[in-house]
This record gives sequence, C-alpha cells and structure tokens, in this order.
Amino acid sequence: MNKILTVCPYCGCGCGLYLHVENGQIVGVSPSRSHPVNMGSLCVKGWNAHEFIAHPDRLKYPLIRKNRRGSPENRRFSGVSWDEALNLVAAILDEIKKKHGPDSIGILSSAKCTNEENYLMMKFARAVLGTNNIDHCARLCHSSTVGGLAAAFGSGAMTNSISEIADAKVLFVIGSNTTEQHPMIGMHMLEAVDRGATLIVADPRRTKIAEFAHIHLRQKSGTDVALLMGIMNAIVNEGLVDVDFVRRRTENFDTFEETLRRYSPDIVEGITGVKAGDIRRVARIYAMEKRSMLFYAMGITQHITGVDNVRACANLVMLTGHIGLPMSGLNPLRGQNNVQGACDMGGLPNVYSGYQTVTDPGARKKFEMAWRRRLPEKPGLTLMEMMDRAYEGKLKAMYIMGENPLISDPDLTHVREALERLEFLVVQDIFPNETSEYADVILPASSYAEKDGTFTNTERRVQLLGKAIEPVGESRPDWEIISDLSSRMGYTMNYRGTYEIMEEIALLTPSYGGILHHRLQEGFGLQWPCHDINHSGTQYLHRKKFARGLGTFITVDFVPPDEPPDDEYPFLLTTGRVYFRYHTGTMCGRTAVLEREEPESFVEINPDDAERLGIRNRSMVKVSSRRGAIELKAYVTNRTPLGIVFIPFHFRDAAANILTNPATDPSAKIPEYKVCAVKVEPLVRPQKVKRVPSVDLEALRIT
Amino acid sequence: MKGNLKNNKKNGNIYIPLNGRIEEIIQLTSDVRLFKAKTEIPIDYKPGQFFMISVWGSGEIPISVTSLPEKNGMPELCIRKTGVVTTAIHSLQTGQFVGLRGPYGNGFPMDISKGRDVVIVAGGIGIAPLRPLIQQFIKKPNETGKVTLLYGSRTPDEIIFRDEVEDWKKSGITVVLTVDKGNDNWNGNIGLVTGFWPEVRTNFKNAVAYICGPEVMIKAAMRDLFFLGMPDDRIITTLESHMKCGVGKCGHCYAGPKYICTDGPVFSYKEIKEQSILK
Amino acid sequence: MKGEFILDRNHLSYWLRQMRKSRELIGPLMDGGKDIVFKSVDKIHELVLDCPASLPSPKEFLFPQYESMLRFTPLHLPLTKGGQGGVSLSEKAIEDLSDKTKRVIFGVRSCDISALSLMDKFYIEGHKDPYYARRRENTLFISIVCNNPDPTCFCIGLGTGPYLEKGFDIQMTDLGDRYFVQIGSHEGAKTVKAMSFLFRRPQKTDYEDQYEVFLSSKARFHKRINLEGIRQMILEEKVKDDFWQWVAGRCFECGGCVYDCPLCTCFTVTDRTYSEGIERVRLWDTCMFKGFTRMAGGVLPNEKMVKRTKRWYYHKLIYYPESLGGFGCVGCGRCTITCPGKIDMASIAARLKGLVLNEEEE
Repeated sequence: MNKILTVCPYCGCGCGLYLHVENGQIVGVSPSRSHPVNMGSLCVKGWNAHEFIAHPDRLKYPLIRKNRRGSPENRRFSGVSWDEALNLVAAILDEIKKKHGPDSIGILSSAKCTNEENYLMMKFARAVLGTNNIDHCARLCHSSTVGGLAAAFGSGAMTNSISEIADAKVLFVIGSNTTEQHPMIGMHMLEAVDRGATLIVADPRRTKIAEFAHIHLRQKSGTDVALLMGIMNAIVNEGLVDVDFVRRRTENFDTFEETLRRYSPDIVEGITGVKAGDIRRVARIYAMEKRSMLFYAMGITQHITGVDNVRACANLVMLTGHIGLPMSGLNPLRGQNNVQGACDMGGLPNVYSGYQTVTDPGARKKFEMAWRRRLPEKPGLTLMEMMDRAYEGKLKAMYIMGENPLISDPDLTHVREALERLEFLVVQDIFPNETSEYADVILPASSYAEKDGTFTNTERRVQLLGKAIEPVGESRPDWEIISDLSSRMGYTMNYRGTYEIMEEIALLTPSYGGILHHRLQEGFGLQWPCHDINHSGTQYLHRKKFARGLGTFITVDFVPPDEPPDDEYPFLLTTGRVYFRYHTGTMCGRTAVLEREEPESFVEINPDDAERLGIRNRSMVKVSSRRGAIELKAYVTNRTPLGIVFIPFHFRDAAANILTNPATDPSAKIPEYKVCAVKVEPLVRPQKVKRVPSVDLEALRIT
Repeated sequence: MKGNLKNNKKNGNIYIPLNGRIEEIIQLTSDVRLFKAKTEIPIDYKPGQFFMISVWGSGEIPISVTSLPEKNGMPELCIRKTGVVTTAIHSLQTGQFVGLRGPYGNGFPMDISKGRDVVIVAGGIGIAPLRPLIQQFIKKPNETGKVTLLYGSRTPDEIIFRDEVEDWKKSGITVVLTVDKGNDNWNGNIGLVTGFWPEVRTNFKNAVAYICGPEVMIKAAMRDLFFLGMPDDRIITTLESHMKCGVGKCGHCYAGPKYICTDGPVFSYKEIKEQSILK
Repeated sequence: MKGEFILDRNHLSYWLRQMRKSRELIGPLMDGGKDIVFKSVDKIHELVLDCPASLPSPKEFLFPQYESMLRFTPLHLPLTKGGQGGVSLSEKAIEDLSDKTKRVIFGVRSCDISALSLMDKFYIEGHKDPYYARRRENTLFISIVCNNPDPTCFCIGLGTGPYLEKGFDIQMTDLGDRYFVQIGSHEGAKTVKAMSFLFRRPQKTDYEDQYEVFLSSKARFHKRINLEGIRQMILEEKVKDDFWQWVAGRCFECGGCVYDCPLCTCFTVTDRTYSEGIERVRLWDTCMFKGFTRMAGGVLPNEKMVKRTKRWYYHKLIYYPESLGGFGCVGCGRCTITCPGKIDMASIAARLKGLVLNEEEE
C-alpha cells in the first residue's frame, strides 16, 4: 500500500488528498491533515474521488468514426492505434486550415486539465494552428470576473487566502451556495461564525449557507447591481466611506457617485424586494468592520449583467477600503479544480498566459520569439461564438479537450445542431460523454491520478499533482497527446516532462515567474503572483497598490434580466448545482454513492406556487421555456421563493440547459444561466382516492 | 454448478451466490412477473424469509420467497420492475440464470396461528411474501381457524395473482379485494384496506394478523388491529428495505437498533413499538 | 515463554526487516514532511513512532475503502450491460477475489487496537464476513503505547488507551534506548519467538520505566470524556429534539466521521462490467446519506438529516453497547479532526454536558 499526495479533481477549493495505491490500483482516498485548505477534512466528492478512476467506461484507446454522416445507429466508433488517430487529426486539421484558414478551427481547452496542458493547448492553437479561437468553460462561469476585475483592479482572482477566512469578522456572501459547492471554504466560514463573525448571505434561495447567516437577503434574481448599489448608497449616506482609501488608491469615484445617488435603499427595495432597513443594516455591518470579506460565485457572474455585477462588487470593496489586507478583500469563488489555472494559462481568446493580451504588440512579440512562429493579432472567438459560427457553417472543425458542452452550454438544442454541422470534431476526454457522441475522433486521456502537473485553486495556489498509477489502457496524459499531435503537424514540442513545460510558463508569465515544480514539492504549493525563484508567493493581493496601479470605479446601472417572466412564461428559472453532483457528471456519475444520492433531475418549487398549480411533492411536471421543454420531478420546498423555480443543470435526462437563455453579457459573453422565463405544468393531476366511509372502529372494538 | 456449491462451502464465502436457472416466467401484471428458479440442490426456506437475488453486472437485491419450498427446488420469486436490478431480472428469459443467496431472515412465526382465526392484510406487491402463508393455510386447513384476506391494489389491473385469488376463495379463504381507483370493468370495492375491518368476521382479540404492503398501510393496519383488541405480539408484519448484503453487515437496512435482514424482516407490532423500528 | 520482553532500540530495524521477509510491513511515515500516513515501509529508519493520529484509521487494512469481492467470468456468450446473456456456468465462473496478503502493521495506536475486538465481533460472529476474516487472520498488529496524543484524543476516559491490558498482538512501550515488548496473542508470541535472541527478560527498572511512560503519557491528554454519562443523558431523554436539529443543521454530509471511524462498518456493493468479466466490488458507505436507505421506487425513509445524524449517535452510544458490549467509539478523535461542522463525538459530548449543566442550574 502506497499513498500519494495529490490535489482533488473536483472543485476549486484544491484540497490536498492522498490516493491509496495497491498493486497498481487506486483503492482509496484520505484527506491531508496539514493542508491549509482542507485541514483533515474532505467533502463527499473528495472522499469518493478514487472510484471513477478505474471505471470500466474509461476510454482506453483512440476511437474514430468511419461514416460520420449516417444515422445515429451507423455512427459506430472503431478502435485504432494512436498513430492512425493522430495522423488523421493532423491531416484533417491541416487540410481545413489550408482550405478555410486557421480561424475556421476552434479549440476548447479545459478547466479540469493541468496548467501545463492548458498552456500547451493554447500554444497549439496559436502557434501551430495560428488561431486565437481558444476558450474554455470559464466563459460560462467566471468570464465576467476575469474581465470585470481586470478592468477595476488589474487582476481577476480571489484577493485573499482561504486560511484567512476563519479570522474574518464579517463575511458577505452573494450568489454562492458555498457550503455545497465549495464545502471546504464553507467549513472555514462556519468556523468564522463560530468565532463570532457576522455572516450575511444574499441569495434568492434559502441555501445551506443561508441557514447559518445572521442576515439573509433574498433579492429577486437578476437585481444584484441594484442591491449592491443600494448598499453603497447607504454607506455613502451614513458617512462610512473610507475616504482616504478612495482618494489615494482609486480613480473615477466622482462619476460613479453621480449614478450611485439614484439608488437610495427605498428605490432599491422596489427593484430587489429587499427591505430598505435590511440594506442599511448590511451596509453598516459590512462597512464598519475592517476584517470584511466579500465572496461571490455564479449568482453574480451568470447574468447578462455579469460584468456589471462584478464591477459593483469591486466598487463596494473600494468604497470601504476593504481590500489589500489580510481578511479583507473581494473573493470570487472559482468552480472547477483548475479553472483559475486554465485562465491564467491563457485558455482564452484574447490573452496569452498571465493575461497578456494578444493585441499588445509587445506581448505578442515576446511569445513569437519564444515560440518561433508568427501569431495572430485579432482576438479569437468565445465559446458561445464558436457554437454560433459552427451553426452558421463558418467554423469547420473543433477540438474539445476535457469538456462536455452538450450539457454545460445554454440552449442545448442549438449546440447539438452546431456540433452536427461541424466537418470535423475531436474530443479528448477520460470518459465518453454526450459531446463525444458527435465526435469524429475520440482521444483517450489519462485521469488526474495518472499524470503529474499543476492545478491552481481558487486562492491562486499552484499545487503539484502526484502521479499515483500508470495510465489506464492506452490512454495518455493530455500534454503528451497535444505535443505528439503538434509534432505531427510540423511543430516539434519536445518536453521531457511537465516540469519543462512549467519552466517555459515561468519564463513567459510574470505572475508564475518563480513557480517551478521543484519548489512546489515543499509545503503545499505557491500562490501567485510569484515573480521569481526567491519569491515565496502572495497570500493576498493589492497590498500597497492595485495590480493596475489605481483601482477604478466603473459606473454601473441596473439593467433587468434579458428574459423576465411574463404571462405566458410566468416563472423565473434559475439554475445551479447540488452537493452530491459535480458539473456534467462524467466523474461523479460513475461513483456509486454519489450517483445514488442524486440520481435524477428535479425542479424546486415554492409550496404556495405548487399548491396553486396542483403540483404535489415528487410528482412529475413539465417545465418549458421558449427554447424547449423537459419533464422532471417537482420538489416542493421553501428553499425557493415564490415565483422562482430552481433546476440543477447536471443531468443528461431533463437537462436544464434545454431551457436556458443563450443571451450573453455584452463584454464577457457569459450566458444568463441564472434567469430565464419558464412555465410549469403538472403532468399528473393529483388523484383523488375515493374512500369508503371511515370505519367506526369503536363499534368493532372488542373489550 | 455443483462445483460452485462445493466452492461455496470450501471457502465459506457467504457472498458467493448459487446459480438459479430460470425455468418459468409468468407475467402477472404489466410490471410484475413470477420467476421460477431452479438450483441444483433444493434449498429449504420458510415463508417470510428472503433471498438475495442478483444479475451479474446490475447488482443484488432482497426478494421475499413467494412460494412454499417444493421438493423440486424451485423457489418462486414475484418481482416488480422498479429499479436497475429488477429491470435486469425482467429482461431475462427462461434458461438464463440469476444469482441466489439465502434464505435469510427470520420468517413468519407459524405457531401463533395454530387454532386461531387469521387476518391477512396485503397492499400491492405486499401480497408476494404473504402468498406462501396462504398456501400453507390452504395446505393444512385444520391447523387454523377462519382465514380472511384483505387485499388492496391501486387499480384492478394491478391485482397480482388474480386467478389464484379465485382458487384461494374456493379453498375456503374469505377474500376481500379492493382498489384505490376502479375502472369500467370493476364493480368491486373501492377504498383503502383499512376501511374493510367490518368484513372480517372474527374475534380480533383471539386472532392473529399478517400484514405486508406500503409502510403507511402497515402502520395504519397495525394500529387499527391493536385498537380492535388484537394483542400486539400477534400482529405480524414483514418490512421491506434497501439491502446490500442480507447478512447484517452492510448497514443499509437499519431500523432503530435492529437490522431488518437479520433481526427481521418479520416483526411483531410489539417489537416495532418497543424498538421504535418504524419511525 | 512469558509475555514480556525488552528489545534494544538498535535491534528494532533488524527485527522488522526479518518480519518483512514474510509479510508486507506497513507503518507510519511522514510524507514529504507534511502528514503521517500508514503505508508500505521502504526505509525502516523513517518510521515515526511518536506521530499524531493518521487518517483514516487502520481499519482500512481489514475493511478497505474499495475491495473487489468476486469476479464473474461469463463463458461462451458475450456480455450485455445489465444482463448476462445465456451464460453457461462452470466451476470457474465465479472467482473469490479476497485478499490473501500477509501484513504486519507497525505503530498502531492503542485506541485502534481496542476497536478491533468489536470489529471482530461484528464481522466474524454470526454470518462470518470472509473478506474481513481472512485479512484479520493474515494481519499482525504491533501497537505502541501512545506517548504523543493529539489534542483531539480522549481514549483515556474510555479505557481504550493510551496503553492496553489485553487485546493486542504485540504492544511496545518506548523507553528511550529500548522497548518494553508485551505479547498478547499467539501470533504475536510466534513472531517474537522466531527472533528470540533479540529479546531479553525485563528487569525491575524496566517495569518502573514502563510505568513512568504510562504516567507521562496520561498526563499529556487534553480531554477526558465520560461517554457513559452522555449515554445516560440520552436514555433519560434529557437530550431534546432541538439539539439534534442543531446537530443536523451543521452536518456537511461529507461522510468523514464514518469513513475515518475505526468502528464504522457500513458498505455498499456495486458491479463493474469490464470486458474480461464482471467484478462485484464493495466500497465504504455511510448512514449519513439519505440514499443509504432508499427503497425501490425511490422512497426515502430517512430523508430528514436529523434522523441520520441522531441515529449515528444512538448507534455509537446506545445500540453498540447493546449489541456488541462496548461503545462504538474508542476516543481516537478522528471525527474531531475531520468534521467540517464540528459536530463530532467530542464536541457533541462537551456541548451536551454544557447544555444540561446550564439547565440544571436554572
């Protein structure tokens, strides 16, 4: 029995865990006691992170589909050698590139893959294919953060560290179901509450974290800008602004303040449904305590106003000077285990690694010199734009690594047709999934247990994976596949190991400048920015000045959601997650306990709404939007307020994203998963059991 | 197959199932089938016990015995299609095999019915574990007094063993059928079984009851019978539960301090109250 | 051969090295200066004898987190998922995959050893669980008198540590330059006998030194918890429902308390269909999850969290003593380390005592 320290492959907490290995098989998991994030704990997903690794469904050899254009039954895949598969991919990508230009190809990188792999994928897209069309699922979760915070602060990441949370005095959590989606961060929050901190939660749903809250604000979905503006208005009016901070560290406050004046708590009450008194109370609590941490997740980002929401959060922390200190800052909670890293590595259409923009000639020149290729100047397509172009027939090929857009993207019917219209689709994954059914070539990748490399968690901690076992079947680590394919396309990537890739990343990426594998072996990784080999990493950001110099107040204004409920579709649908499931279920769906706990989709509906519609708990209902309809079980609960229904997006059957609205934020292009209009109808009318007149037991009783 | 059994003994591995060859399948209702499975060596079992039935690749589930043991070693298993394993079993044909471990559990106490009137209360698939009891009472009519069966189903089409029910009647058992929801061809009773106590013409104080069905029905029936004067140690039920092992190890079937697989599945109302089993 | 010996410190490696020739040697090692983990020992000198508690408990070597039970190899006809085709069966069709590795686990704590006696009762008495039984037969435990208890430890109030009177194979007390070795089982005696030239009889000073270690060890505990008192409070119905409601509200449903507990035994079974055959596998499971008791058709008898958290405590404190004769808790403190909601055994006991004392004062 051997035990190898590695990083959990589920959420962005980045917990340290040991994989137990016996005879080349993973037989268990245990938490690391001294890891600063999980400190001897794990959530249920972490505790079961061993089971899917050797699941029989694992892709074990490359597959190609000979007759792509047949009926679904004829679309049989056959196993081939790596040589055959990679030669085919190289040849067809080359051909499409020559015929239609490099921008006819789109790449999806992966927030589940390592930094090294994401870096290579972006190098492959830009240097080998010659396109900036590279994106990944961060588009769907935190692209508004990356854009919004980069503009306000110059850097879009969690400003504090997880280990600071327990010592904070005020925790303001908006749009994050922390205890269920970042359980180990939730643990630190609960610890803070136990130590006397005040917890404020703003969320339309009564989530578990809201149960612990001292104040729970249930704003209407999609009114976050108004709510935050109301709080800031109260802060200004009550004289709680950190004037010195605003003067010395920020700019553009005056313009912002003009707009802010319009958002008195009373007006905001009308928009959000949150009592003016509560708004003032939260303003006071948040502003008057110095150790105030603001947290947010997808309740903020997944709106057409996602970037505005993020800007409003940034304005709030600048207004109060709650940033640049330990236990004081703005903390977007990133979802996937390496979504922070995938963004850091430039798996985005507009930036290289370290957020160096492709339009900046200096940055481009640097990468051109290092990579010895001319690089495209124009930013590429975002994920949603790629799907649109594919639908229009303008994007001819896609290469999808470790993602499953056929569950995770909005308006799935549209996505399905887009994928069908592609000339060529390569899917690289550890399991077959909904998307790979449409692939021409499937490349089997190795799981987190079978490779090394680094993940960057939500607190910017770059941690080393430990390779526990050899790759399952003929599968290969993603970085090996990319570099092999690249060589076959005439661009040699000759790395002896992931540590060599990391060296190249460090060379070209200032914030990763001092991050090298051998340094990560001691302790539990390094938090970027880490500029050089002597730098010990950064616990919290923006200490003396913001990354961009001065913080900028960006004026925001409330804009209602794209598709508010109306007479025909009277309910507001908000989507999200459940604790026992993770994302599209390729891993947790193959884990016995997790699969058992939440086997099927459901819709949460308020008891009063349910009563009015004649819907009983656990009965089947039909939920439809302008884009489609699904049938699923109703779960009648007070967690969801009147007029709002909630559906988790994880499930293939009754997939919530058949309903969701593909309208996006104008700058971040993030879709509005959190708001669309639906109608709910019962499928079964409640049966009235005709009862015989009740028996007079007394009369029958024998005494 | 003999080898298997030998193996079984040699290793003492209680988790290795015997192979049961499916000899006959009878479609009872749209989603209920009766499987007759033959093991090489006849297995002895008692009414109220259960087998762990498995289909390799799908898993294992507990199924109550639905028949009295026969010399030809063909336990009958009445199975409703509800989950992964039952669906897999329903996909089998005669000549194919199920895995079979057991019998496990305590079984119905039979001595308490000696010389007494018997009330059998069944709801839906709950008739299955009670059928061997009925067969036993028919086989030895002199050992008991009057036997009454109250049997409730959701709809007339879901009445399991409908033909057999007629035979039972002929053999002297009083049968009261009822459904939750009738149809055009139904002119029988409608309503819950617990509405038909007046049809049971017996001295409850001196009778014994065997109950199986949905939990709400079990609870209501037990409460009523106790109220009607039946002593709580003669109100007997058998409980259904999630199980993985059948032998008291996996923990899934806990009920208060008890495990349904080894302490049950048959409990008296007395035990249920004292051990807070149905809570 | 009397059961008490002295082993010179310099001879420990040699003794273990000899034992390793016939058994896999597992012991506590400091992984990269980070955590203590029990794993195969490569360099014997790296063993850490005064280590903090390891996660999970050594039950993983008797009842592993993931264990292949049986393999079913179909003959003739190809497999279909969820069905088995018209398979012809023969003797070889079902293969028992139980582990037959001989192991010696070195450096186990007393609390974990005392848990074994209840585990043995549970798994071996009545229907014998062959997987547990076989591993148990093949595993020798060498325990260490605890000289460095964690702040979370409370075996001291339960008689399950820091040293044991019986129930061990071999118990060692670290006396600095030598070890006091006690033998508690036949298998333990055999192991010492095979290397008898390494051992000598203890002298009076050895006994005195051992007692000294016992005393100093006891002095290091931070917690003493009277579980019997808690049990009485529950039995006397002094613990009200709103208390269990509070406990349930803080449960993260991680399962950690059960996974880490040396006395939790629940598992689930699942079939895995590989191209070569079907494996029946068992995995740790926990009663903390609502789906644990899900019935056919989806009924969830224990959907409410409060039923499950409460039941865990009832099981540990009330049902275990009734059925197995001892608490389902040995005071190892692992649930305190692992519980994100701080509703572990020690915290609950402390809180309950506080609550009831307050009430009595009123």
